[in-house]
Amino acid sequence: MKRLSSFLDSFGAILLAIIWIAPLLFAFWAATHSTSDAVNLNLFSPWTLENFRVAWNGAPWLKYFLNTFVLVTIILIGQFFFTTLAGFAFAQLNFRGKEFVFILVLMQLFILPEVLIVENYVMISRLGLFDTILGVGMPYMASAFGIFLMRQAFKGVPIELHEAARIEGCGLLGILWRVYVPLAKPTYLAYALVSVSTHWNNFLWPLIVTNSPDTRPLTVGLSIFGAPENGVDISIISAATMMSIAPLLIGFLLFQRQFVQAFLRAGIK
Amino acid sequence: MTQAPFVRLMDVAKRWNGQLGVEGISLDIPEGSFTALLGPSGCGKSTTLRLLAGLELPDEGKIMIDDKDVTTSAASDRNLSMVFQSYALFPHLSVEENVVFGLKVRRVPKQERKQKLHRALEITGLLGYENRKPGELSGGQRQRVALARAIVAGQRLCLMDEPLSNLDAKLRNSVRKDIKKLQRDLGITVVYVTHDQTEAMSMADTVVLMKDGRIQQVGAPEDLYNKPVNTFVAEFVGAPPMALIGSEAIDGFGKGKTLGVRAENIQIVPKGEGRLSCTVNESEFLGSETLIGLAHAGAAGLCVLRPGLAMMSEGEEIDIHFNNEHLHVFDAAGQRQVS
Repeated sequence: MKRLSSFLDSFGAILLAIIWIAPLLFAFWAATHSTSDAVNLNLFSPWTLENFRVAWNGAPWLKYFLNTFVLVTIILIGQFFFTTLAGFAFAQLNFRGKEFVFILVLMQLFILPEVLIVENYVMISRLGLFDTILGVGMPYMASAFGIFLMRQAFKGVPIELHEAARIEGCGLLGILWRVYVPLAKPTYLAYALVSVSTHWNNFLWPLIVTNSPDTRPLTVGLSIFGAPENGVDISIISAATMMSIAPLLIGFLLFQRQFVQAFLRAGIK
Repeated sequence: MTQAPFVRLMDVAKRWNGQLGVEGISLDIPEGSFTALLGPSGCGKSTTLRLLAGLELPDEGKIMIDDKDVTTSAASDRNLSMVFQSYALFPHLSVEENVVFGLKVRRVPKQERKQKLHRALEITGLLGYENRKPGELSGGQRQRVALARAIVAGQRLCLMDEPLSNLDAKLRNSVRKDIKKLQRDLGITVVYVTHDQTEAMSMADTVVLMKDGRIQQVGAPEDLYNKPVNTFVAEFVGAPPMALIGSEAIDGFGKGKTLGVRAENIQIVPKGEGRLSCTVNESEFLGSETLIGLAHAGAAGLCVLRPGLAMMSEGEEIDIHFNNEHLHVFDAAGQRQVS
């Protein structure tokens, strides 16, 4: 009985893994073979990098990469700044209406960002940030999830450390910077991983708010590149897709262990 | 000595909603002294220390340190250092960074920081451990890092909140001596919170015994031992604590009073010659002597010390004797009567 259930466990896990990785494997296969070979799944057909060359020349990828990179960096910096301050206030400061405000922040967790797309669009245009990278990133900076995460991390810091720092002459921001932030490093790492992968892959909002190749991130660039009016060539689209996910994929493979540990340590599963 | 006391608490009170904090705390602490705040848990000794540190603000009263009114000053402006029960070392910083943390915050120049660090580590015997993280140190070493951090800035007042309670018994004894020596050598004023009366009695110049948020007695250790002002002090101080006997049990003291007597002043005498006869209910071999616990209907905590190994069987009836000059007389309210 025990052996059967453990067999079912591994069988299920392997099955899920195969289902999950199949599209990725196929994309890899298609990207490295000519279109007809790719579709026929001819295992002995010759490998080629031609698709990558064609795809690379078909769109300003370098610009897209740079845009995405700048975008996730700006978002991450903004999120670290706001979630640190807000999380600290909710964890360690006492002010009137704290509970109420915190519930408001938590309620934000229940609202899908897509619901607010029109409202955000209006706000971003009003701020004159339409078609800018800052405009793409701004709605995500005061992340409710991040605030909640930081609050939990800061709450776990022993109060004696706070008091010791006070006696040693630290001001409130000094304590935050010298005690709380370094102690919450694992949480920051976990949050950074989630944030970067989410915003690297984010599509709908950047699609709406960007209008030119100068601001477009990879995802939007890729969708335009692969749009039917440009003619569908599965191999070339696969090659472009592989290119755009490569940095994240390589990053994940390199930091796999840290990635998983970061989540375990930060207490989110 | 006409000099004003270094630390002065005047009628300080702190109340938590509904809960008892401390009430009417008045205390003068001279510079360079070692004062122990002693009492059972929940007696307000830690609260008193935290009020002094500025981690809590009093609801009433005044606190002066070095002739300055610091009642509402921030902790960082009081020029004191503190050793926490949990040591409160920053786990992400090395020993060196932990010790110079306060100096860095206060922007002490690097050269001076280095000198002070070296001196503090030398005094606490931590040279060579500069780059370790607190997690890589033993309990005793962590404790010394906390001490080093407390003395590095050269503050004249150092507060210690049960700094030894996380150490094992053997280490506790040696660290006790180290702390005492440190205090003497540096000439700093130490206010030390503990629930362990041996610790307080052996280290302090002045012991402040507290109960339920109030000071019971302030005095030198021998005063508390020899002249307890009430039955609480009598029972709290000393090992074994003072035995308390209802005055009805002994002739010539009337009714409603309590008589206290210490174990070392009680002798076992032949049957019929004693002032009290009681039953042996336990024998405890302590090494150089044996502690015999006695039961008597009108008394609590009676015991007698016999030299060497001298166990007595349980249930044995014996008579005991003591002289009137060794008796402490307390009135019905438990207060000491002047004799």
